[in-house]
Amino acid sequence: MTFATKIDKDKVQALLLAIENDQGDEAAQLVDELTKIRETELHEQLKQLTRNLHQTLDDLGEDTPILLHAKHDLPDIAERLQYVVDETNNASNNTLNSAENALGLLEQLETLSSDEDLSQEQVKPVLEKINHELTNIMLAQSFQDLTGQVLNRVILIMTALEDSLKDLIARSKHEYESIPERVENELDQKAQEEKGMGPNVTQKSKLDTVESQADVDDLLDDLGI
Amino acid sequence: MQINRDMNILVVDDFSTMRRIVKNLLKELGFSKFDEADDGATAWPMVQSGKYDFIVSDWNMPQMTGIDLLRRVRADENLKNTPFLLITAEAKRSQILEAAQAGVDGYIVKPFTAATLNEKIQKIFARVAERQ
Repeated sequence: MTFATKIDKDKVQALLLAIENDQGDEAAQLVDELTKIRETELHEQLKQLTRNLHQTLDDLGEDTPILLHAKHDLPDIAERLQYVVDETNNASNNTLNSAENALGLLEQLETLSSDEDLSQEQVKPVLEKINHELTNIMLAQSFQDLTGQVLNRVILIMTALEDSLKDLIARSKHEYESIPERVENELDQKAQEEKGMGPNVTQKSKLDTVESQADVDDLLDDLGI
Repeated sequence: MQINRDMNILVVDDFSTMRRIVKNLLKELGFSKFDEADDGATAWPMVQSGKYDFIVSDWNMPQMTGIDLLRRVRADENLKNTPFLLITAEAKRSQILEAAQAGVDGYIVKPFTAATLNEKIQKIFARVAERQ
């Protein structure tokens, strides 16, 4: 039932009359009475919604995957992804430190080699240091194993969560396939592009992107850049 | 063509590792004078000082984007001829055209190679030399 059908037409007419006749107190009281009906109606609807939600959750049962995901898996995901952010950052910094050190050592070696009386004793320690830095760079790559495991775990959780949500949609008698496609309006799309959206990794976001630097060069060549 | 290796370069990127990578590659190419900024918003007052002969910037940054920084540079009478190179993960054709329209001198998509950076710099400064 809609609000409109609940509104007392006589009262509305009385209100209009009171306004026309400048009867302020009478009008105020009628407005109060009219909105009260509406408030009660809203309250009833909210109560009904809450009851439905309770019923749905009760029907699901405590060990339903979606509830377990909500309590146990979702809070972990941000933590797991933060670990990936931190580890990749550390690995990148460690690699850059060692690469910069190695470049410095090579310069040292270059300077040394301009000296004709260069001895094995002078070269050896520098070579050892370069060796050490290269080993460091290699070890820093172990982040790939660790973050790879964490990311695979996150993919598993997200896939399971997606299945549970689909299941919930089915249980609530909604047709998953009939959920409409998201329509991106052109202005939003433009605003997003303007802001920058990072690497285009999904199939959908790859639409209309260049595949290589050569594509970029071709595009700009045509414009004389 | 001889490029002035003593020029002042501003490297703008919100990721410190990417700034380090770009700086190291530029060093390999013989450049030695760099400053860094972690956002377009921090870069802009630095650029306004007029110190820089070359700006290398990311696109996607939290406060002010690289494309906005580029537009500000081009709109400023004293700065508008500063060579500007975008190094970015943004790869939509429409974005590249947008950057061209804003007056970018070079556009490199991440991930990139040292050879690509070298090639773009050569091209940019060959054109600068032609203009003069």
